[in-house]
This record gives sequence, C-alpha cells and structure tokens, in this order.
Amino acid sequence: MRLVIGGYAQGKLDYVLEKYHLRENMVWDGHLPADEAGQAGTVVINHLHHWVKRRILEGGCPEEEILSFAGKFSDCIMISDEIGNGIVPVDPAEREYRERMGRILIRLADMAEGVERVICGIGQTIK
Amino acid sequence: MMVLVIGGSGSGKSAYAEKAADSFFKENNVDALSAPRSDMTGSMKKYYLATMQILDEEGRKKVERHRRLRDGKGFVTIEQPTDICRAIDRMETGERTVLLECISNLAANEMFSGEEAVAEKEVVDKIISEIEVLQRGTTHFVVVSNNVFEDGINYEETTMAYIRVMGAVNRELAAMADRVVEVVAGIPIMIKEQE
Repeated sequence: MRLVIGGYAQGKLDYVLEKYHLRENMVWDGHLPADEAGQAGTVVINHLHHWVKRRILEGGCPEEEILSFAGKFSDCIMISDEIGNGIVPVDPAEREYRERMGRILIRLADMAEGVERVICGIGQTIK
Repeated sequence: MMVLVIGGSGSGKSAYAEKAADSFFKENNVDALSAPRSDMTGSMKKYYLATMQILDEEGRKKVERHRRLRDGKGFVTIEQPTDICRAIDRMETGERTVLLECISNLAANEMFSGEEAVAEKEVVDKIISEIEVLQRGTTHFVVVSNNVFEDGINYEETTMAYIRVMGAVNRELAAMADRVVEVVAGIPIMIKEQE
C-alpha cells in the first residue's frame, strides 16, 4: 500500500495516475470497494478524507475499517487531502474529524511501503 | 532562471524570494564585470512587481510598509495589480531580475475585479500566458505564491473556485520553473531543482 497526501487542488490524482501508469477507471472516489472480486491490479482510493468524514458522521469506525481494508488490498494507493494545517475549528465535529483523520493518516503512513507528499503537482517521497 | 517560492503566511517566503533575486542579480553583475557579453546592451535592473490593489487606508499602509522594507535594497517597484505582462513595458532593456509577489493577490484581482467572478479556466489561462511573457522577457524571474490548500475547510463555492485557480496556477508555474522552493519556518525546502 502507498499513501499520497497533499493540499486541496495540488494535482494528487493526476500525479498518481501518471507516475504509476494507471487509468481513471481504477479510481474509487470517496468510496472503498466492498470486496476483492473483480478488483484486478492496483486499486486507487481518491479523496480518502471524504470517506473518513462520512464514516464518522454515520457513526462508523473508519480507523478499524481502513486498516482492515489496507490489510486485504495490499496493491492499493490511497490519496488524501491534508486538512490539519489551518486554525483549529470552533465546531467540535470539525475538530473531531481533523483529529481522527490525522491519526488515520499516521497509521496508514506507518503501514505504507511508501508515502509521497504532492505540492504544486510535484511529489516528494517522505517515506 | 525561473524560481517559484511557495509558503504559508509568515513563513519567510518573501524574505527568501528577495534573497534569491538578490543572489541572481549579484551573480549577473559579477559575470558582466568579468566577462562582458557583447549582446548585452542597456542596464541591469532589479524589479519588484507589486500586485496588491490599494482599496483603502489599511491597504495603503501595508503597501507603504512593504515599500519601506524594500527601500535601499535596490528594487524598482512596479505596481501591477492586474494584466501582469504589462509590467514589461515599464522595464528598461538589458538584464532584468524580476520578483513577482504574489500569485494570491494577482489571482484575486483577475478573478474578482468585475461585477461577476471570472471563470476559473479563463483566469488560469490569462495568468499563465501573461507570466510566460514575463518569463521570456526577463533574465531571472522569482515568483512568490501561497500555500492556502491545507486547512480542510469547505468554504463557499466562490472561494473554493479561487483556491482551485491558485492550485492550477501553482502547478503550471512549478512545471515551468527551473526551481521550486517551499519555505517552512524560514527554511527553504527544495521541491524541484532542474539540472
């Protein structure tokens, strides 16, 4: 599993598709595929932070779910926005989302074979 | 040589960009003294392209403060809040080192000066094509932009469109630039360095 992070509108998906020679039909946008059936090759999860936010709102446990997913789909690239470099929000739900999202990225980064950070469309390998 | 400098507010990106412009400028002068180029006519000048639109007293004070900070550093200031390529008409012939600060003001001015916001693609294409004119017309070109992409806030759509414009402009500038530097706590981190 590889993790690609970066700010909003930095060209993360284009970077991943180009670097790893993947097509857009391999991309899951804000969703995780339910099972491995029909999943040939690399699975790309784009906007992982949207999925996490939704699972928090739905009362799910994105922490466990994403780790078990990453365990099943080892040939996977997860793409997420960095959302923590701003003022801590007044809204408690928004604070919880940033905190849990940050912790999830830490655990995924720990598991990942490689972590890249994209800024201005350029990737830097940070792990 | 074109350099893109990006950083958050208060990161020290302006100071770094000034130093970069200065080092190119000096390098140029030394080169010119030791081995004068036959094709070099005219002056060697360092220009500061200021993009802030002065709308009120607060803006005027800010611009004055910045001008004072640059005083004595040898920059010729050109105020160009929109249509940035026009600045080239106000430069002398010869070697030009240009510092453009900054893309966030320029993008806001280009996008929001009329009654309605200009479409994203139109703003991006205009800024990029005009910056290409500047790049071709200058010897050394340093562009400053902001990192406004990492706070995770869902602003209203106009602001999101503005942030996307900034993102697209930054990506294109980074592709054009010989060097891309992110400044964090005053420390320059090399993102791209062309051999």
